[in-house]
Amino acid sequence: MPRILLTLSFAASAVVVGAVPALAHFDSSDRYTHRSCPASGTNRIDPVNVVFTTWGTWGRAASQVEAHAGWTSSSGSLQSFVDHGACFGMHAQRASAIGSRFHVRVRGQHQDPALGWVAVAGAHHEDLVLFPIPCGHAVDSNGPGGSGFDQGRDELEQQLVAAGHVSSRMWWGNTQSFKQCDGDYAGSDGWTVFISLHQVNH
Amino acid sequence: MAGAGSALAVLTLVGAGAGSARDAEPVPASRFTLDDARAFEEYPLYFAGDRVDGHELVAVLRRSDSAEFVSFVYGDCTPADGMGCAPPIEIQVWPACRRHLALYGSAPGDPGLERTTVRGVPAAVLDGGAQLELQTGRSTIAVFGDSRGRVARVARALRPVGDVPFAPQELPPPEQGAPESALTC
Repeated sequence: MPRILLTLSFAASAVVVGAVPALAHFDSSDRYTHRSCPASGTNRIDPVNVVFTTWGTWGRAASQVEAHAGWTSSSGSLQSFVDHGACFGMHAQRASAIGSRFHVRVRGQHQDPALGWVAVAGAHHEDLVLFPIPCGHAVDSNGPGGSGFDQGRDELEQQLVAAGHVSSRMWWGNTQSFKQCDGDYAGSDGWTVFISLHQVNH
Repeated sequence: MAGAGSALAVLTLVGAGAGSARDAEPVPASRFTLDDARAFEEYPLYFAGDRVDGHELVAVLRRSDSAEFVSFVYGDCTPADGMGCAPPIEIQVWPACRRHLALYGSAPGDPGLERTTVRGVPAAVLDGGAQLELQTGRSTIAVFGDSRGRVARVARALRPVGDVPFAPQELPPPEQGAPESALTC
């Protein structure tokens, strides 16, 4: 019965952007977040650069990010993710502060036989821009330390690995640059980190 | 063009309790210039001229850290509500020793790609056609756009940066070892 309800919920909430049937595996064919649904090439916002696996439900991801990275704020704008051709709103977000901060948005995705429960996330470091024109948060531009997207991913990986989680990296090549509200550009270096989560919440 | 954004000062706030938040210094602009690209000699660069598919060249970016590329951005977009936006067209040129088709695997979690040939060289399509990667000489060209059609039109317009007005229809084949990641930087 729960599985039937889950399926009905999945179908009812999906905004279909392609006639792709839901399959029993993790789908990484769309490697970006989107401003809204339906997803398109014009409303991409951030690269997806973190995948939580094993017990990687979105709730566990949020809990373990809070516990291990200390990112407890849930403020931020809403974005959407794509799974098997359908577009959905995000499930959660966590940030290290409300000003200049680390920030991650999370969406639970389709379970995978090899990866287990899976949630995808877009992590970054961003500045709060107040001058010359207040425009909100802007992800750090590409620079010697990597972009804000790389910094956010690396910080999250470092904090969770320090707490005993296992991580690995996979080339996703999602390096498209995104213009930020301060006029500069930021993009991922193309590497996505996979972090294994444990069953117990904090 | 390049440098327009660099005039913008970025005032940052480090929120109370930010803890792991990093420096609050103004962020350096990542702009390169077309003249810089013309003088660039580390690996061959390709772009689509001053204008392609109705969009002007608006920025040239350079990255050399965990990523290594020169990028040509065509057309503008408007970030809103603190969220970034995707320019209509971007052409990134990487050294083939850092980016090549063999990096994409087939394990669970790997993005699916469709291998093909474009302008006589090995290529791969991702994101339903919104991303195309071509391997030519010692370079890998990644084209990003908002549709398969636009990306294909940009691929047809690719030519070397410099004084060469038009590239031949076929691009130079990949240097030996490039597609199999055997090149060293």
